Amino acid sequence: MEFSLPAILRALVEGRVEFVLVGGVAAVLQGVPIQTYDVDIVFSQEADNLTRALAVLESLDAVFRIQPSRRLRPSVSHLSGSGHINLLSKDGPLDLLTNVGENLRYGDLIGLSQPMRIGEGIVINVLNLKTLIDLKEQLGGEKDLAMLPILRQTLRESGGK
Amino acid sequence: MPKDAEPEKLTDYSEDGVDLTLIRWMLSLTPQERLEFLNERVNEIRAIRELNGI
Repeated sequence: MEFSLPAILRALVEGRVEFVLVGGVAAVLQGVPIQTYDVDIVFSQEADNLTRALAVLESLDAVFRIQPSRRLRPSVSHLSGSGHINLLSKDGPLDLLTNVGENLRYGDLIGLSQPMRIGEGIVINVLNLKTLIDLKEQLGGEKDLAMLPILRQTLRESGGK
Repeated sequence: MPKDAEPEKLTDYSEDGVDLTLIRWMLSLTPQERLEFLNERVNEIRAIRELNGI
């Protein structure tokens, strides 16, 4: 079965989940020519949002990716905790993050994001490229540092600093 | 422009080796087109991996 990263994002929007898109897909949407395989989002941990997110995850048939054969589904307690929740949905991998960088949460990131249209009537909040670069610099891992030249050049070519 | 002025040097790569032509091409697409392109590559690579039993 084929993956559909747009379908994952569409389901989140239609399910009224409050989230900011981060990671590789956020970079690609802003013109960075890289390949990535999963959708990374930072989501609001408000109670109502967790209920909506769980409903969407159910509709996407999302299970924990570490052992997909066990078909373990995320619960409210998973979503209300901290850290990363790495899932495999029927439309592809989906990572739900409670925070990124130095404990930046949804409320911190929404103001650093920009709305982008990715389909008919589908608008998502995407973390801006400058902040994606800042986060990679903070993380400082080999994989993060390797990404920096292409992220910085894309920012320059797109008219950023 | 004076006759002996150097034309602006066009380059395909940045000093640190990044392919600027790919970036410019990606920037010429809409966000929706970029997402569709990414998704197509994801599925093509998965298909090739499956063909090779990976």
